[in-house]
Amino acid sequence: MTVQPTSADRPARTRADTPFRRIVRQFFENPLAVFGLIILVGLTVPSFLAPWVAPQNPYDIGTLDIFDSQLPPLSTSSSGDITYWLGTDGQARDVLSAILYGMRTSLIVAFSAVAGALFIGTAVGLIAAYFGGVVDAILMRTVDIQLSFPAILVALVLLSVLGQGIDKVIIALIVVQWAYFARTARSSAIVERNREYVLAARSLSLGSRRIIFRHMLPNTMPPLIVIATIDLAHAITAEATLSFLGIGVPVTEPSLGMLIANGFEFMMSGEYWISLFPGIALTLIVLGINLVGDHLRDILNPRNAQ
Amino acid sequence: MSFTRSHLFASTAALLLACSPVSAEDLVIGTKSEPSSLDPQFHVLSPNMQVSLAIFEPLVRQDAQGAIEPLLAESWELASPTEWDFHLREGVTFSDGTPLTAQDVVFSLDRVAKVPNSPTPFTLFTRQIAGVEALDDTTVRITTKQAYPNLTVDLVNLPIMSKAAASGDAPEGRTTTELNRGEGLIGTGPFTFVSWQKGADLILEANTSYWGEAPDWDRVIMRPMTNPATRSAALLAGDIDMMEDVPTGSVGQIEGDANAKIVSGPPARVIFIALDQERDDSPGISGTDGENPLKIKEVREALFRAIDREGIASRVMGGAAVPAGSLGTPNMFGTSADHEVPAPADPERAAQLLEEAGYGDGFSITLGSPSGRYVNDARVAQTVAAMWSRIGVKTAVDAAAAPVFFKNRDHRAYSAYLASWGNNTGEIGTTLGAQLATYDKDAGQGSANAGRYSNPELDALLSEASKTMDDDARAKLLEEADALAMSDFAILPIHFEVPSWGLRADLEYEARADQFTLPQNVTRSE
Repeated sequence: MTVQPTSADRPARTRADTPFRRIVRQFFENPLAVFGLIILVGLTVPSFLAPWVAPQNPYDIGTLDIFDSQLPPLSTSSSGDITYWLGTDGQARDVLSAILYGMRTSLIVAFSAVAGALFIGTAVGLIAAYFGGVVDAILMRTVDIQLSFPAILVALVLLSVLGQGIDKVIIALIVVQWAYFARTARSSAIVERNREYVLAARSLSLGSRRIIFRHMLPNTMPPLIVIATIDLAHAITAEATLSFLGIGVPVTEPSLGMLIANGFEFMMSGEYWISLFPGIALTLIVLGINLVGDHLRDILNPRNAQ
Repeated sequence: MSFTRSHLFASTAALLLACSPVSAEDLVIGTKSEPSSLDPQFHVLSPNMQVSLAIFEPLVRQDAQGAIEPLLAESWELASPTEWDFHLREGVTFSDGTPLTAQDVVFSLDRVAKVPNSPTPFTLFTRQIAGVEALDDTTVRITTKQAYPNLTVDLVNLPIMSKAAASGDAPEGRTTTELNRGEGLIGTGPFTFVSWQKGADLILEANTSYWGEAPDWDRVIMRPMTNPATRSAALLAGDIDMMEDVPTGSVGQIEGDANAKIVSGPPARVIFIALDQERDDSPGISGTDGENPLKIKEVREALFRAIDREGIASRVMGGAAVPAGSLGTPNMFGTSADHEVPAPADPERAAQLLEEAGYGDGFSITLGSPSGRYVNDARVAQTVAAMWSRIGVKTAVDAAAAPVFFKNRDHRAYSAYLASWGNNTGEIGTTLGAQLATYDKDAGQGSANAGRYSNPELDALLSEASKTMDDDARAKLLEEADALAMSDFAILPIHFEVPSWGLRADLEYEARADQFTLPQNVTRSE
């Protein structure tokens, strides 16, 4: 998350003296945002260190012993060398380890999907705004068409065509999300296009590519970063939804959504921990991202800054 | 305000009256899915068959264990090896009062092939029938194309319709659409049709002129509840009296409830893993230098021995499964006695077998599985994958929704896949013929054999058995065929699903091998 303020300070550098310091200061003035950041760091760091900190590798299915399945929290494995702090699921995976690994999968999918969507969407939006006319019309109508379909439906159709796999989920989420970025990038770029510095660059007859990416892009970034943060939460929930429906990641490498889905059938018999703990993890991470994202939006909004 | 309140009160009272508990003679059944049609000859599908068998009756029926017993036909004998004479029961009338005659039987069996657009046609059960004729009012002669011992098993699935009521302008008489509305839906069965709202209740009423023993119920309501957890909750809340397929997760809860109980039945459907034994370059296999290790018997045996079937039955299936050593249940006609109980899991021996086959370092394979088609299917596949991985065969699971899975399987996109087979004949010959006979589309052999196992010796035994009328001789041939296939590890049986029903504590139901829920067989305990 710390990369965002740094990339966000570039456009502001020309306007304020120490914009980065301002953003950091404003961010830490808000206790909710700090709380969100703590949650995020507290969850993401261990999940990316999962291979070293998790008690078990739940993806190494050869090590799973079916007789250890559905154990309640705080049980000990039949071999006696692992304590299942949060219990085990129906496949005898340690729920804590599965959450750490699953969260990593969820985060990787979400980050890659948002980065991909941000890249494609921004490029499309800038090109549409800069060239205008027919190019703008064609690109923006494509965006309109894309946005008129429910996102989850598009993803469902794509995944049933592409098949299962983490890479395919990422592709599906990029396809679903790029249009939001394109629209935002275009509207903020249109404002920039008529600014004096762009006119100046044009009068120097600089190339289109240079004007778009060197001059306009940095100034259109702040709103995009805000959207990207919020979208990260969307991507995580979308991935969880797809996996919950059984068409996302492979069943042997469950993400948070699939862990929740797997535990669903055990709820009736009182084995709550299989769904509950991954559910809490998912809620916390989305909450954390939203808190940080919301506050980032307030800080980066130029109207609030003045 | 006071008006509104009294108005509200009155309407609430009316609503309460409308949903007041159904009278004691009603039976409400939560089914796992609704019929696709009420036409008894449209679609071979369990939800359809069980409704048909409440309204209509076939010439012969199967008891709960699958044994054939007389129903509309009181007795039958062979006039020649291909000619069967069935004598109809006297005094049977349709629910509209007309008597049952041989003409109704001829009409019904002739109608089968004329029903258009059937997703799974009933001709499956008439393909061996060359002709049906009425010798007199109460005798029907059925001629088969060749000596065919399983004719009565096929007839179980062919309910007799009323010729008078089901005749019509279309070639098949009353069309499927008309029958779905209840027009011409006249049978001799214990219940008559009242109403059906697709997606909601199907209501039946006792047939007051039924020839046999009257059922315990005046009205039967079959309510589709696709979510198993919803069915359990409804049973525990007393909204329904009976439910199909108790999910493994709810077993403890229902058993612990004083007002509900579970009956579970003879092991039925077999779950197995089929292996590609034809192609060298089989999809999903890697680390073998382009060879297909599944062609080697030792490798197949290793995969068989790696599976802890007891563990799967107790931990994944919650006890609702019996470990399988053959595709046929232990009491099934033709199951080899040597394979009734599977050899115990032995991962060390399995690893050794891999070593002997030259795959000591293992290989990688993808196991295809449907998700949500059979009880805990994807979880069983994952558990098998874990057990295979432990002996060095790195296994990934590709679990897909049923339509996708079956499309992939038919396109042979899997080198190994988990699937299932429900045997409706009570003889292992049909199962072996579908799963392991050499694939031959025109002859209808090996119709489900996507692993393409092929063994001329097995084919010969099965073909010989299908023509053998003598039961003892046929049993011997089938047992030999079963033993041959199982000792060759042609396919890896996992377990038999044990069907279960949830019931109100004061009801009785004998669990059926065919997994049908027949309302006429639900009784009140004394």
